[in-house]
Amino acid sequence: MGITSMATAIHPETGKLGFLLDVPFPSAREATIALRSLSPDREPRRGGINKHLSVSESTLSVRWSADEARILRVSVNSFLDHLSLIVETMDLFAPPVDL
Amino acid sequence: MTVVIGFEGSANKIGIGIIRDGEVLSNPRRTYITPPGQGFMPSDTARHHRAVILTVLKEALEQAGLKPADIDCVAYTKGPGMGAPLVTVALVARTVAQLWGKPLLGVNHCIGHIEMGRLITKANNPTVLYVSGGNTQVIAYLERRYRIFGETIDIAVGNCLDRFARVIKISNDPSPGYNIEQMAKKGTRYVQLPYTVKGMDVSFSGILSFIEEAAHKMLASGQCTAEDLCFSLQETVFAMLVETTERAMAHCGSQEVLIVGGVGCNLRLQEMMGVMCKERGAKLFATDERFCIDNGAMIAQAGWEMFRTGQVTELEDSWITQRYRTDEVEVTWRD
Repeated sequence: MGITSMATAIHPETGKLGFLLDVPFPSAREATIALRSLSPDREPRRGGINKHLSVSESTLSVRWSADEARILRVSVNSFLDHLSLIVETMDLFAPPVDL
Repeated sequence: MTVVIGFEGSANKIGIGIIRDGEVLSNPRRTYITPPGQGFMPSDTARHHRAVILTVLKEALEQAGLKPADIDCVAYTKGPGMGAPLVTVALVARTVAQLWGKPLLGVNHCIGHIEMGRLITKANNPTVLYVSGGNTQVIAYLERRYRIFGETIDIAVGNCLDRFARVIKISNDPSPGYNIEQMAKKGTRYVQLPYTVKGMDVSFSGILSFIEEAAHKMLASGQCTAEDLCFSLQETVFAMLVETTERAMAHCGSQEVLIVGGVGCNLRLQEMMGVMCKERGAKLFATDERFCIDNGAMIAQAGWEMFRTGQVTELEDSWITQRYRTDEVEVTWRD
């Protein structure tokens, strides 16, 4: 797995911090599994951060919007921990052929 | 035959177990052990679980001699517990459920303890004392719910013991409670501590504050030994638990007691409960550390019961929750 693109930005009007991440998977199936594994748990802190996940073909895209850099960093770090665990799980436990 | 794999990691243990119709096929586990004087923090515990969970999963499958295709359902702990460790375990459960094309099932951790205790001991309809580092409840089954008859109004009994262990720097290996139990055997002098039963409920935070405040002074002055403190603390808190359990039994007309949860493998607690049961002509059921302490098989067993009555958890509903009371679960698998 490699991350193909990252982008950070500050919204000109709201002053909110934005962060974008594109993660390519071998196929749409893996990207969708990752999306569905990562989506159920909401951000622990109420307010201050927004995270949106989507899949287009075999790419998982994540879009953050946050009030503070600290909260954004915590959320992105924990997302990357979760993502790498899922990718490792796929590497070790995916069946050899599609079900 | 129904085969369920269970993932548990709500606190400092990570365990994965496989159950086939009441038979434990495998139940490997790892414990995150912190240095003396330190508790386990959520993010460090989650890191520990991330580092070992896939190894434990491999062990669970190998020891059971099963392939993913043999599994019918993937159960995991939905809550209660620490958020970060719960998420870690849920992520792997969700991912393998999808990879293997199996249904997912979120299980209440407390229900897992109760169902595992019932499976191992064959207790039929016991009054349950559930005692661990995070929970202290006296429970009885009534009309499709495990009802909480009494509980702690502040910290869990195991938390009280763990934090006392930190005060006098008792080792956390294999667990602080085990080491307190061993030291308590050498205690000879009973130190008077607050006894805090409030109706059907119990309180441990005041006892902890008292002993935190007094321990170093009493030890420095030679008034008592660390062993005496371990002994006195155990006698006091266990007496409180036996008292409330007995009252719940009297209320329900129950003749069975089942002790579950990590503190439940303490032999002194089992002995004191046994004396009470004998006096009432009741029967005591308890299990050893393999099944008392958090493990994967208990989640598999509760999941097995739930799955057999048609329950599954859709992926989008599979969020974890730090608070999840025992009586929130509708017990669809008992009369």
